[in-house]
Amino acid sequence: MGILLGLFLKLSAFSLIAFGGINALLPSLLELSVNQERWIDLQTFADYFAIAQAAPGPNFMTVTLIGWHVGGILGALLATFAIAWPSSILVYFVQRLILSMNDEQKKKAIQYAAAALAIGLVLSSAWQIALQINHSYAAYGLTLLTIGMTVFTRWHPLYLIALGAALGTMGLI
Amino acid sequence: MVGSKASTSSIPALTLLKTLTPTELFITFSKIGMSGFGGVLPWARRTLVEQDKVLSSEEFSAILGICQIVPGPNILNLAVCIGSRLCGAKGAFAAALGLTLGPICIVMLLAVLYQHYSNLESVQGLLRGISAVGVGLIASTGIKMLRDEFKYPAMLLVVALTVTAASYFHLGLGWVVLLVSPLALLLAFKKARK
Repeated sequence: MGILLGLFLKLSAFSLIAFGGINALLPSLLELSVNQERWIDLQTFADYFAIAQAAPGPNFMTVTLIGWHVGGILGALLATFAIAWPSSILVYFVQRLILSMNDEQKKKAIQYAAAALAIGLVLSSAWQIALQINHSYAAYGLTLLTIGMTVFTRWHPLYLIALGAALGTMGLI
Repeated sequence: MVGSKASTSSIPALTLLKTLTPTELFITFSKIGMSGFGGVLPWARRTLVEQDKVLSSEEFSAILGICQIVPGPNILNLAVCIGSRLCGAKGAFAAALGLTLGPICIVMLLAVLYQHYSNLESVQGLLRGISAVGVGLIASTGIKMLRDEFKYPAMLLVVALTVTAASYFHLGLGWVVLLVSPLALLLAFKKARK
């Protein structure tokens, strides 16, 4: 019971600092669940990250999987609810506040500031997560290839995920 | 569709093209949740703006802007905003539930498979390959967003400061936001006045 309560409270707090979305939160989530609380080990975290990427649905499913690991179905539901409820309530009210704002400049400024912050957080998240879960030059190569393909071509991400899966299964990554 | 009141000629800032019941919201967001590989946001846009025509493109961008300011999963914030706009708290709940329910079931099914087969060499390799791609997908989201910032290069300072604080000094997320947001807001006000 204690561990489920801890899971619920810690993830609820995370929901409120997840600026830049869940992708920006991943290094902190890793730090919390692997190093501080020891809910899961690093390899399992990396694997859950991969499963959440490969499955359809929002990428916060990594959190659902951590919850599942800690407490089965109840843990999964609890973790998902925890990451969802505080920010949902916040956005429910903030939306009205911002939409009722008449000052166009102020509105724009807030969005610009948030965008710049989000970009920084997402980029450093990708960098930190790469350091933790890429264990070979081949893995870094694949990450760089993915960046190149998504930035310069219109390939669907699913093809890249399939490519990664194929290369990995062949033991090349 | 029920109660379609499209008025495409002059859309005031917040008029929705269509009204949906909570059940319809649940179904629409289920579709979105189940179709998104490698991020759901592009699918949300395709479904809501292009296929179902629930929102105009401008409204979608405006709402998405708000969802990205507020902490929390962006796509979930989007579901709450659009759901509540269409039918209040009930709609917000229906949209959020639709978005998450299907994917949770699938992901748990995969977790059970993982439990049984994670010791296989090939499965471990498979997941290593996918996570290397996953990291690349996240990085490229950031890089694509970065392109817009070059229109007002001073803002790149905020990005650089954020990356340094988070990656080099390993500050927690809360501290990074606290530290960087004053400069971000200052520059943003200058950018908005331009």
